[in-house]
Amino acid sequence: MHFTENVIIGLEIHVQLNTQTKLFCSCPTNASEPNTAICPTCLGHPGSKPVLNEKALEFAAKLALALGCTIAPTVTFSRKTYFYPDLPKNFQTTQYEVPLGSNGAIVLDNGKVIHIQRVHVEEDPGALIHEAASVLIDYNRSGIPLCEIVTAPDMNSPAEAREFLKKLLNILGYLGVYDVNNGVVKADANISIKERNYTRVELKNITGFKEIERALQYEIERQKQNEVKLETRGWNAEKGVSIFMRSKETEEDYGYIVEPDLPVFEISSEWVRSVQQSIPELAEQRAARWIKDLSVDKDDARIIAANLDVAVLFETIAKQCEPIFSARWVRREVLRILNDERKELKETAFESSSLIKLFKLILEKKITDRIGQRIIEQLATKKFLPAAYVKENNLAMVADEGALKNACKNAIKNNPKAVEDYKKGEEKSLMFLIGQVMRATKGTAAPNVVKELLKGLLK
Amino acid sequence: MIKQYVESAKKGAVDLLEQAHKALEETQKINKEYRYSAAFADPVAQAEKLQQQAKDGKAKGRLFGVFVSVKDNICVKGIESTASSAILKGYKPVFNATAVQKCIDEGAIILCKTVQDEFGFGGFSVNTGKGIEKPLNPIDRKRTCGGSSGGAAGLTKKATFPHLALAESTGGSIANPASFCGVAGLTPTYSRVSRYGLIDYANSLDKIGTMALNVNDAALLLEIISGHDPKDSTCSQLPVPSMADVPGVISGLRIGIVKEAFNEQMDNNVRKTILEAVYKLEQIGARRIELSLPLSMNYGLSSYYTLAMTEASTNLAKYCGLRYGASEQLSGTYNEYFSRVRTSQLGDEAKRRILLGTFARMAGHRDAFYTKAAQVRTKIIQEYHMAFKNVDVLITPTMPLVAPTFEELKQLTPLQHYMMDILTVPANLAGLPHISLPCGESNKLPIGIMITANHFQEQKMLQVSNALH
Repeated sequence: MHFTENVIIGLEIHVQLNTQTKLFCSCPTNASEPNTAICPTCLGHPGSKPVLNEKALEFAAKLALALGCTIAPTVTFSRKTYFYPDLPKNFQTTQYEVPLGSNGAIVLDNGKVIHIQRVHVEEDPGALIHEAASVLIDYNRSGIPLCEIVTAPDMNSPAEAREFLKKLLNILGYLGVYDVNNGVVKADANISIKERNYTRVELKNITGFKEIERALQYEIERQKQNEVKLETRGWNAEKGVSIFMRSKETEEDYGYIVEPDLPVFEISSEWVRSVQQSIPELAEQRAARWIKDLSVDKDDARIIAANLDVAVLFETIAKQCEPIFSARWVRREVLRILNDERKELKETAFESSSLIKLFKLILEKKITDRIGQRIIEQLATKKFLPAAYVKENNLAMVADEGALKNACKNAIKNNPKAVEDYKKGEEKSLMFLIGQVMRATKGTAAPNVVKELLKGLLK
Repeated sequence: MIKQYVESAKKGAVDLLEQAHKALEETQKINKEYRYSAAFADPVAQAEKLQQQAKDGKAKGRLFGVFVSVKDNICVKGIESTASSAILKGYKPVFNATAVQKCIDEGAIILCKTVQDEFGFGGFSVNTGKGIEKPLNPIDRKRTCGGSSGGAAGLTKKATFPHLALAESTGGSIANPASFCGVAGLTPTYSRVSRYGLIDYANSLDKIGTMALNVNDAALLLEIISGHDPKDSTCSQLPVPSMADVPGVISGLRIGIVKEAFNEQMDNNVRKTILEAVYKLEQIGARRIELSLPLSMNYGLSSYYTLAMTEASTNLAKYCGLRYGASEQLSGTYNEYFSRVRTSQLGDEAKRRILLGTFARMAGHRDAFYTKAAQVRTKIIQEYHMAFKNVDVLITPTMPLVAPTFEELKQLTPLQHYMMDILTVPANLAGLPHISLPCGESNKLPIGIMITANHFQEQKMLQVSNALH
């Protein structure tokens, strides 16, 4: 390959697929107590045999198709042999000859195409737990399905690598094949720079998309300041440095052979079609459509589209309620509440019908924004009719000047300092006074009416 | 024979407890002289339960009260199963192999595990693991009983109680000892019997099969253990035909005689005996057709050993003294520890096969050996399929000679050891069902005749077998 850019980066990413059971046995994937979700197969006992979890294959195919990959007509597994205590069989069952998916891509915001060379499934090894003087092994993780995604060396900066990974994770979450909150994402990066004649270093064990930028930045600086050899290094997140692991000359030879305990799986075009049909419209396309067709604010659209459940909620609301307004409220209120509470939409009481009713009350100036915000907080935890709630609690907007005049006078009387500042020309102080009136009216006062009243009174 | 016994046992006409005691004592006595058994199950306790069922009129199963021995590489729950390797010493599986479970479901009594070449690595049962005595030929103790299912064949020959054996063949490990011990040994089509619970030697070649004193008993057991099993993804979904008591009618049946098999290196008595048997079959209506299988006979051995060793080298990687089986004092890095355990616990032949098999799959050698061997296997399967267009079964001797003495074996190089499998390996490589039957003697030592059929045509080889006897 001929390179001209200053920095060349390719990624190899591993993500956990969120199936209920493991890749080759029926052990659950969500055990917490060490060594409780294990069986002869994921412990590699003599005589045990693997049986493929087709859900894992389906999940990986879903990702491959969402990335625009071609799906292989047959799927075979291979044995990658190496000795390590966390690997029960001392070989990993993976895909070697032909990956499930190949030739896909992700497009970055700057228009750059990052090619995806392969998407395949494989089993996770167990986990080593280092304690003071010893190492313990937890095999709960052994056999959990992983999806490996390999890119071409198409990225030219750590920021691009970060953006790529973020986009990938977004797609994974959208497809429902990856646990956004608890899933683990690991990346190995191939990185080389022009100043060192593109001598390639493999940087392993980078966890999470925030770490990737930091690790790559470090490695580029290291390469600029040091002689670079063809080697494999490990990223130590705690110390923020990369550490020499092995040189390429002593690279392990995995002696791949075809996994003889599994048949060749034929992939039918009907199956591929049905997987394709199960893929929802992806976040980027969805956001673009809203921006174009509904004139929704760009940021609102992108942020809402990133969460599939909220995106679906917004689309339902936008059919009956002004889209630009709805988008702003869904992003600023619904998503804010989800973030604050660290909850999924499904875990709240939010439903489109009551939100539509609420938004209409706000749009029709029947309640103030502030009351709207207060009610939306309530709607997150229980179901009720907003209009009835407004009536019961006397929360309707008050726009009558007569009714508000007293409150304005009181605010002026009780805040001489603010009045003085306003008269000196400080606009902020007027906002303060409006706030005082809002408080006195429990948020029901129409802010624009209050503003005009105050201005008049302070002349 | 077994059938009649099962019928009377079900009626309560057999004292199963007495039978169990007798079987246990006799097996232990045979063991002292011939060393066929590894770990013992609890036949008496099993017999007690069955006895009660018979009393209650609830006796059922086609193997009710029959004693079944199990080759050591087939897992029996709770009974030490080591594939005759020191590295698995103390390993007690937590589950039954499907073949074993099917026997239990039919009322069988599991008797004991039988000794073999370590992990199946050998044809003479002289490669038993460290600390495990090699079994001796039931007819002449100075001679080998064949292998790797040597213990299974020897016990089958010697036992006077109702006994059947579960054995296993990768490259000839059922036919070979059946021939040397003078019993019937049945190897099914690859994938006919579930491998779930079989300690792997070479997964794409391993086949669980059966042994008995006569064809029909071995066929009954094979019929019972055959059939689809969701726990083994490579197991065939095809329906299982009736195998026991296939009529020995062979009128018009075409018998292929493989020219290359009857070469000058063959023992004269063996050649003569087999050709006489073929003549006898012709007399009762079979047609004899000479044919040539150049690929299979010339390249079968190399392809087989390359594939078998390659797969074996990955299968044996898991034995490292960490999770089960033999372990040693922990010290050094994990690599040093694994190497120490493997060095001290694995036998020479296991080490040889791990080294050769690893070499054959390394980058730079993989295409020349592993991939090429797999391509040759495909060609050999095609050659057989062509041959079976013109013939119904193939007949060769099982082994080119009768059981050699241990002294004679010592003179052979490893390569000469492998060459002894020339007749059994090609059919095993191609996954074809085959049977070895006693067919005369040479100096009182049994000669085995091997009948091979096309994939899933077990019935045809049984037809011919029953015509011969």
